Amino acid sequence: MEAFASLADGLTVAIQPMNLLFALIGVLLGTAVGVLPGIGPALTVALLLPITFKLDPGGSIIMFAGIYYGGMYGGSTTAILINTPGESASMATALEGNKMAKAGRGGPALATSAIGSFVAGTFATLGLTFLAPYLVDIAVSFGPEDYFALMCVAFVTVSATFGDSPVRGLTSLALGLLLGLVGIDILSGQSRLSFGIPELYDNVEVTTLAVGLFAVGEALYVASRRHVHEEKLEAVRGSLWMTREDWKRSWKPWLRGTAFGFPIGALPAGGAEIPTFLSYSTEKRLTKHPEEFGKGAIEGVAGPEAANNAAAAGTLVPLLTLGLPTSATAAMMLAGFQQYGLNPGPLLFADQPKLVWGLIASLFIANAMLLVLNLPLVGLWVRLLKIPQPWLYAGILVFATMGTIAANPSPVELIMLTVFGVLGFLMRRFDFPIAPVVVGLILGPIAESQLRRALSISLGDPMVLLQSPISATLLIIALLALIAPFVLKGLGRFKAVED
Amino acid sequence: MTQFRKGLWRSAIAAAAMAGFVTSAAAQMELKIMAPAAPGGGWDQTARSMQQALTQSGIAKSVQVTNVPGAGGSIGIAQLVNNSKGDGNQLMVMGYVMVGALLTNKSPVTLDQTTPIARLTTEYEAIVVPADSPIKNAKDLAAAIKADPAKVTWAGGSAGGVDHIAAALFAKAAGADPTKINYIPFSGGGEALAAILGGKVTAGISGYGEFESQVKAGKLRLIGLTSATKTPNVDVPSIKEQGVDLEIANWRAVVAPPGISADQKKALTEAMDKLAQSKEWQEILKAKGWENAYISGDAFTKILADEQARTKEVLTAVGLVKS
Amino acid sequence: MTTSPQRRIDVAGLVIALILFVLAGVVWWDMTKLQILSPYDLGPKVMPIIVSGALALLAIGNAIGALRGDLPARDHLDWKPIILILGGLACLIILIAIGGGFMIGTAILFATTSAAFGRRAFLTDLLIGAVIAVFIYLLFAKLLTLSLPAGPLERLF
Repeated sequence: MEAFASLADGLTVAIQPMNLLFALIGVLLGTAVGVLPGIGPALTVALLLPITFKLDPGGSIIMFAGIYYGGMYGGSTTAILINTPGESASMATALEGNKMAKAGRGGPALATSAIGSFVAGTFATLGLTFLAPYLVDIAVSFGPEDYFALMCVAFVTVSATFGDSPVRGLTSLALGLLLGLVGIDILSGQSRLSFGIPELYDNVEVTTLAVGLFAVGEALYVASRRHVHEEKLEAVRGSLWMTREDWKRSWKPWLRGTAFGFPIGALPAGGAEIPTFLSYSTEKRLTKHPEEFGKGAIEGVAGPEAANNAAAAGTLVPLLTLGLPTSATAAMMLAGFQQYGLNPGPLLFADQPKLVWGLIASLFIANAMLLVLNLPLVGLWVRLLKIPQPWLYAGILVFATMGTIAANPSPVELIMLTVFGVLGFLMRRFDFPIAPVVVGLILGPIAESQLRRALSISLGDPMVLLQSPISATLLIIALLALIAPFVLKGLGRFKAVED
Repeated sequence: MTQFRKGLWRSAIAAAAMAGFVTSAAAQMELKIMAPAAPGGGWDQTARSMQQALTQSGIAKSVQVTNVPGAGGSIGIAQLVNNSKGDGNQLMVMGYVMVGALLTNKSPVTLDQTTPIARLTTEYEAIVVPADSPIKNAKDLAAAIKADPAKVTWAGGSAGGVDHIAAALFAKAAGADPTKINYIPFSGGGEALAAILGGKVTAGISGYGEFESQVKAGKLRLIGLTSATKTPNVDVPSIKEQGVDLEIANWRAVVAPPGISADQKKALTEAMDKLAQSKEWQEILKAKGWENAYISGDAFTKILADEQARTKEVLTAVGLVKS
Repeated sequence: MTTSPQRRIDVAGLVIALILFVLAGVVWWDMTKLQILSPYDLGPKVMPIIVSGALALLAIGNAIGALRGDLPARDHLDWKPIILILGGLACLIILIAIGGGFMIGTAILFATTSAAFGRRAFLTDLLIGAVIAVFIYLLFAKLLTLSLPAGPLERLF
């Protein structure tokens, strides 16, 4: 195996003390910044680019890899502890993770997320090592019609986040789709639902919506109910660590999450959010403890967390093999490569094997480092919940607004955050599920633009959706997933499982 | 009056500082550069690179970069024109994309209200096709588009952006109706590139940097660049040299707020002249792969006016701007 | 799900249905102003039509639910903490808009939120908020060179 030898070479590069130090700095910076909502790994890499100008190429790119993986870890920590997803890919983690934290099971939630991320990161990096050349051919053959079909699959799975009323769930989804319309339509260049306000032209920022609905909305809701319902947070109930039962319930979701995350992350327009939704709904369907979903099921943390980390590694497949930056962070890393006169692309593996394999090896190291750093920190993080409630929520609001201002220092963005906060409060009060709004905002515009691209290319012929084998298969899966619950429900009536 | 007093005050400080330290008067310049985009993008990188070069070379004492993202720069320019009037230490990075964005967004503020200072860099557009495409050169592509513009699908950046305008101008030069081009906007360079590599579209159009490594690896065929003549590091003659009259570039420049004095304008222009010649700036250009296209003063003002007129014409033709 | 004996019409639920209906109308109205520019593109109108239609249908669905009294039980609402938190956010927004910087606003937001959760030490909390704001400012402005909205306090650093 040629790849093994190259990887071993790479390890000797990555394990040099200076490079280990760069990886450590990257991991720490990435975690610190990932904790702040609104400031993702992309922004961090962008801002650190001029600083690393003086470093040698190997060192700085290894550091970027650390920031990238670190950012993914940091985002989930806040999602679990304070219901504030650091980036949109951590939203699914917040759904069950925060419920676990509130029930005193924050420790196991953080642990399953850290270990799941490690497992997923390791497997996905292995995939990057051995499968990249094959995977990339499939990734490039994905056309707009195939993406549209993939979005259909994702839409069907959204119902897993609906709660107990389909009407209210669909209403939330429709609100998300409405928000997805706001701004300039990329295909026609015209503005929709912007009412002449230039700040609205750039579409609704997913993190602003998620932070507003989750963090601000939650603060308003809890505060308004203090007089009738004193929220008691227990930092730790039961074991701080994962029990044997937790392990048993986590390992399969980790692997399934990786299986969703890596290939979809490798698609040029796949992203990290969609695999987390797919993983969440799969775990909800497969679990032996359906009654726990919505109240803090560990599978709902383990799966999405593995999925988003695997997707992060998947993104590197098109970047390293084709020079295709498919996420904001990857685009910044590309800029980093170019800063040293390296051109990622078909020739990079041949021209710069030492560097590429050094980078891949340092991904393994960054991943291990994050596990070693994060597991002992679980105890410390959980203690955050012991902060007196007034200060905890005041701190959450300060962090939420800071993250928003730092990314876009405009009052309009803060007004939007506040409006979304009020919306989140009202939705909680009237029992509308929150997650479908964010899902609608993410999926709606992608589904629309990919369908329109597919139809433009085919000159308006809708058959293009069925002529592509990938698209046809995915559409059938979507259809089956749509019908299956009704069929199962019908069967279930016989067994009298349903209420 | 206040303007005069401000100037006096500043020269007094400069004199005092001169007495204290032995540095040039220009080194006392405390510049503010606004990038009308989020951190990380092209304009932001330009602003931060200028910051680096200006301070390291001692042309300015300090440079502060601010980001005012939104609507292709419409929000940034509104802030520059409304809030920084007469501020001789403020600059804003802008580029060709802003010319189109202000038109399509019906911005109440226009570039005519700013004080043009200098153009810094430029990047030519490149047209590519998949390696196995029957289209070999610009003539083939022009013939195909003239035969049936609907069958020639273009992948590029957002609607109304420089890629879209270049594709429309190509069709026009080829003798086809520019309103009939089948231009498909993609979000982000990676997605468009994947569509071209996957053979989903006929041709792709974007800055040459996006395609360079694919062209060198033989995965894409370069049809040509939109420069006037062949550029040295490219094997293919320019599109214009191949007989299709298309010349367009995606440039980046700096402008100052309205209402600054002639002296302030001169000081800013001189600072930019020095920047363009500095070793630090040359190094950054090389590292980032940016092409130097430095022009200051009236020549740049004329370019800006010409580009606005031409862009308006194209965008009106494709229906994005109502005349 | 328990069926309560006296199912009453839920007025709030009807208001929600009305809002959804208005939103459907706004989306439709906005759609009518769009143009189809490319002869090959499905056009920017299709998605708004779908969303508008879905909202209208869901408005009916929600209205039926409200008439049947299907909405979950709600507690009595305590307005004071909500006004405190939103007031804090409003202060922050106004201060940033008029160039007062973010530090003062952040300190106020911290203190009002804390008060909304029942603390009675406004001045102490104001101070804590200010310390956090200074820390964040130094982290962002000095380490990451991000420019946060500056006012009189920020210029001291």
